[in-house]
Amino acid sequence: MCFLYLVAGEDNQIPFFRIIKMTLKRTLILCFLLLAIASAGAQSEEKPLRIFGYFQNSLQQWTAFQERPKQNSFSLQQLNLLFQKDLGPSWTAFVNFEFLNNFSSSRQWGSFNLEEAWVKYRASMRFNLKLGLLVPIFNNLHEIKNRTPLLPYIIRPLAYETSFSEFIPIEVLTPVSAFAQAYGFFPAGEAKFDYAVYVGNSPNISNDPSRGQTGVDTTATFLFGGRLGLRYGDLKLGLSATYDKDNSAEDLADALNIARTELSAIPKMRFGGDLSYNFANFSFESEFIKVSLEKDAPKLERNLDFYYATLGYHFTEALFLYGSYWLLDSHAALPALPNEIKEEENDDIKVVTFGASYNMLDRVRLKVQFARIRLDEEELQLQPEMMVRRTEDDFSVFALAISVTF
Amino acid sequence: MKIVIVTLLFLFSWAEASFSQVAVIAHKSVPVDEIKKTELLDFYSGDIKKWSDGSNVIVKDLKPKGDVKRIFYKFLGKTPSRMKSIWLKSMLSGEGDPPEAMKSEEEMLQKIAATPGAIGFLSHTKVNNNVKTLIVIGKK
Repeated sequence: MCFLYLVAGEDNQIPFFRIIKMTLKRTLILCFLLLAIASAGAQSEEKPLRIFGYFQNSLQQWTAFQERPKQNSFSLQQLNLLFQKDLGPSWTAFVNFEFLNNFSSSRQWGSFNLEEAWVKYRASMRFNLKLGLLVPIFNNLHEIKNRTPLLPYIIRPLAYETSFSEFIPIEVLTPVSAFAQAYGFFPAGEAKFDYAVYVGNSPNISNDPSRGQTGVDTTATFLFGGRLGLRYGDLKLGLSATYDKDNSAEDLADALNIARTELSAIPKMRFGGDLSYNFANFSFESEFIKVSLEKDAPKLERNLDFYYATLGYHFTEALFLYGSYWLLDSHAALPALPNEIKEEENDDIKVVTFGASYNMLDRVRLKVQFARIRLDEEELQLQPEMMVRRTEDDFSVFALAISVTF
Repeated sequence: MKIVIVTLLFLFSWAEASFSQVAVIAHKSVPVDEIKKTELLDFYSGDIKKWSDGSNVIVKDLKPKGDVKRIFYKFLGKTPSRMKSIWLKSMLSGEGDPPEAMKSEEEMLQKIAATPGAIGFLSHTKVNNNVKTLIVIGKK
């Protein structure tokens, strides 16, 4: 009103176009003010970006085995930086950066990974959709395998020990990532039926610029997987499966003097099962994973089996004691080499481990763990004559750690 | 002397009785008048995040350790440390935040009364008409 009055009052002295110009100018200023207020209002309704994370520092003593001498090592085993923002009532964005083994790019130590970057839409308990780089649901431990503050272990069951990925085929045993996942649960009385289905890349990620873009699957294959589960009180169980096609055997083609394409896109199936149960102060959890890559012509076979079972006891609210047994069983049968040598490899890693964790504060957890590890390696030359080469070794690991959530 | 002792014993037993009842309270706008243990556990574990009318469930926890907290979590069938572990898992997995912990029962009462969709717990004796009582836990 004031604006209109001013314009009308000056009507006789100011030419018409100048009035229009002033009107436009003031209207624009008014519009900017309104936009600024509206924008501030909209921003105040959004929740702020949350930055948090966790790390685990450990001291590990490994006794000598095979070629390696005894070693003592302090390390920042793992650090994860998490970023979360609620984008709306049903939308959440989440990013997870992971640093392993004292990461330093200048010293070429450890690794730095973008583990997760996804947006989630939660329609209801029955349907959630995650899109982006995500850790898919496969067995009970897989989804929280790298959440060190949640785990009593310092060295995790082998299929999940990310810091051992240089010598344990973790990416073969478990689906490391997916890019779209639907999941949720259906209640039925006191029971809940969980489901998850996902799709992602097969593991044929290119790091060779000559084959095109690096960091993406340059083949035409996908990973498909899912889990069906049941929760009833303190009982949780589930079955998981994935299917993809693997090119990792291509490197054998040169030794076999055959085309690489003969050993590409080998179908790979993973099956998993998990069972966990809490009773009084006891807690039990166990899992199996079976991976098989098979091709008929040329005959190639690779099987990996992993089992673990942990029995724990909550001695007090803060103190948890546990004992655990792990077994990683690997079998590979290679195609006959050009000189008609046919080989098989059977490797076992057996681990018996005991440990304790103590919650000093809600977000500070002390851990101690002892593990006795047995390695059995067997190479069989089946043709032209039978030969067996066996290597057996035992060693121990003693570890102390502090796990902190911040 | 005997009368004094009897009176004191009566007062102690009365105080114990009043502490042993915990009320689960909610904002007056919530679309239910009572709640079952399994529903309460679903809310506190983060499995269910909405009331039946689609509004958000806002769970509140109590910071001080004591009988009220002990009775409430015993009713849920979880220890406080187990619940914290569930909340930490949700937080670190990007599935949800831990509930806000109230410094006192008075603060709990005020926050529940002032926050649509909120649910919490406190001593039954401290409940007033500004909130809705969904269930009373413990012996009278």
